[in-house]
Amino acid sequence: MKEHETLEQRLHEQGVSRRSFLKFCAAMATMMALPPGSATAIAAVLAKVKRPSVIWLSFQECTGCTESLTRSHSPTLESLIFDMVSLDYHHTLQAASGHAAEQAREDAMKEFHGQYLLLVDGSIPLKDGGVYSTIAGRTNLDMLQEAAEGAAAIVAVGSCAAFGGLPNAQPNPTGAVAVSDIIKDKPIINISGCPPIPAVITGVLAHYLTFGALPALDDQGRPKAFYGETIHDRCYRRPFYDQGKFAKTFDDEGARNGWCLYELGCKGPTTHNACATTKWNGGAGFPIEAGHGCLGCSEPKFWDVGSFYTPLPAPAADVTAFAQAAALAGAAAAVVLSTADRAKQRRAQRTRQKLTVSDLKGE
Amino acid sequence: MSTSLQRGITTLLAQIDAPVATFFSTCVHCGLCAESCLFYTETQDPKYTPIHKLEPMRRLWQQEYTFWGKLLKKVGLSKPVTDEELAEWEPLVYDSCTLCGRCSLACPVGNDITYMVRKMREGMVASGHAPEGLKGATQRAIEQGSPMGVNLKTLKAQIKHAEKETGLTVPLDVEGADYMMVLSSAEVADYPEIISAVTRIFKQADVSWTLASDGFEGTNSGIQIGSSDLAADILGRIVHAAERLKVKYVISPECGHAYTALRWEGPNLIGRPYPFQVIHIIELLDELRSSERLKTDSVDETRMTFHDPCQMVRRGGVIEQPRNLLKQVAPNFVEMPDAGVQNWCCGGGGGVSANHRAERLRIKVFSRKKSQLEAVDAKLLVTSCSNCRTMLLDGLELNRMDVEVIGLTELIADHLTDNAEGKAS
Repeated sequence: MKEHETLEQRLHEQGVSRRSFLKFCAAMATMMALPPGSATAIAAVLAKVKRPSVIWLSFQECTGCTESLTRSHSPTLESLIFDMVSLDYHHTLQAASGHAAEQAREDAMKEFHGQYLLLVDGSIPLKDGGVYSTIAGRTNLDMLQEAAEGAAAIVAVGSCAAFGGLPNAQPNPTGAVAVSDIIKDKPIINISGCPPIPAVITGVLAHYLTFGALPALDDQGRPKAFYGETIHDRCYRRPFYDQGKFAKTFDDEGARNGWCLYELGCKGPTTHNACATTKWNGGAGFPIEAGHGCLGCSEPKFWDVGSFYTPLPAPAADVTAFAQAAALAGAAAAVVLSTADRAKQRRAQRTRQKLTVSDLKGE
Repeated sequence: MSTSLQRGITTLLAQIDAPVATFFSTCVHCGLCAESCLFYTETQDPKYTPIHKLEPMRRLWQQEYTFWGKLLKKVGLSKPVTDEELAEWEPLVYDSCTLCGRCSLACPVGNDITYMVRKMREGMVASGHAPEGLKGATQRAIEQGSPMGVNLKTLKAQIKHAEKETGLTVPLDVEGADYMMVLSSAEVADYPEIISAVTRIFKQADVSWTLASDGFEGTNSGIQIGSSDLAADILGRIVHAAERLKVKYVISPECGHAYTALRWEGPNLIGRPYPFQVIHIIELLDELRSSERLKTDSVDETRMTFHDPCQMVRRGGVIEQPRNLLKQVAPNFVEMPDAGVQNWCCGGGGGVSANHRAERLRIKVFSRKKSQLEAVDAKLLVTSCSNCRTMLLDGLELNRMDVEVIGLTELIADHLTDNAEGKAS
């Protein structure tokens, strides 16, 4: 297998200017909310780093995740991902087929044992011995376990690999599970979404190459830099929510005025993802900008939480009266407590003995 | 009656007022105050973070005056303030804080940390945890009238000397004068030139002034040790003398804490407004300059710089006045880095100079002043606080730096128009 060249050489060969490269590094640093100085650090490390071997396994999936990445507005910064890594096996993208393809995977696993990154999209069926999805006659489970053994880290791309996704939805006929349900002894990073935002996967890889470690993760194993806030928190329609202005149907006055889609089933408030800030299609927009609520595709079990058009549960009763009473009670308690505190301070002032010079000598 | 933990706690409880409660609850733990503190920047020891110096008081506030603090204390999750803890904090509260006010200025949420350290000291002294040197100074201030043991006899000797030098009369106990001049003990003991200087300046400017035999000492050790009771006793002498002589103004000397005591804390200490106004000698000189009553006819070509005393710039806002005066006599005046409102303390303010235990630390942190001075390479260092002056002389000598130090009032007096005729001989 040929020696892995550095990223800088590779980019140079492909005619990518240093300026574009630096822009990419700055964009990565910004997206991951790293300190300003880290853009240059990223550039310095990425330029020198030997491109790591990447094996990409596709299981029960629709190739949407690969499409998201490869079809993203071209030529793009995100497309640089393929220049950052040496993609040694990806059965949709590679030219080789049949035994030659499987041979490439086995060679990479052997040569870069313990160092390669394993990217997985699609869920893994366990039912009936895993017969529902096989590649080259081997079950997905078998292939995943074998590839995971020598991986430095695993990136679960898309909601299927991260949480089980569509195959895992009720009644789950194939017994599909997520990567993290099977592999317990390797660092796993979940880049959920159906499909995930291309910049997120690029960002995670840039972070891994620069710092040699995975970024900070949330409780679902997702990078906090991208999944730290909800769609709702960063939605441009949020002011309408705060003012109580909601679209009731998809063609009413409210919808035309761009009001909040909460009552039309938008899952923005419970969905953690970066769509509202990073956006899609080269920054053209994201679903809510197209007038449709968020489906919640980056959250676990998003297929099974009811209709996409059923509003999220809201308090049934009128909470205003209760809130007013609570505020009054709180204010009353504060008055009582602060009166007691004031009395305590005044008592201290009264009982305090005046300091005299004999006190200084008395020591 | 003697000092005790209980007495200290009661005092602290009485000291914790609305501003203190607000400051403690709004602290965002950003640590910016550390970077502003001379003792942290020069040692890089995190225990010198200004807000940390208040930890026992903060916990007491939390336990006694907040809902959650009371609850935590009740279930034993918040340990009470002990005598050992206060003893441990004594060097932090006294040795490593000059009440310079830089942290209060740095705080992004506007917490006046210096105000709180001043209050914390009230509790420290009441619990018996004040440094010996400072206790001795305060004791002398109360019993002998001056922390340095200066008395009326010393003053009279210095007055006689000044009268001989200037050929002018130094007014003492003149009833109905406009201004009553107060001095600091360091001036009477170590820098008596100031008496000749003001006598000549006031003669030229035709200022009606006097010294008071029962209120000439401005240094207030009570403020430094942190006892309002004792500070009020010491201050009361000046107020009494000013009222007796029916003066319109009391002039604060070139002394940082005398200025703070007289100008800012005074009426609160004695619990009533003054029947007179307080003005710093430098403020007065600048007023005389702008009304053309103070005239100079020569200049000093020496490359010189000005050390702003903390209590004047940060606590008092007297920033432009000394520069206006310097412009008149010093064509080669240069500003040190961070001059003015952000100037670094000499290291000996707030009672640190009277605290022998703190000496080593004070000398260590002089490194900041050293680098400030090295940046401008001045031959003469002018200041307007006699305590700063002593500390600067000390630090310069220990660092073998060839820089002279002089008080601003003296520098101005040296260049007065009628300088020649004022001198006897």
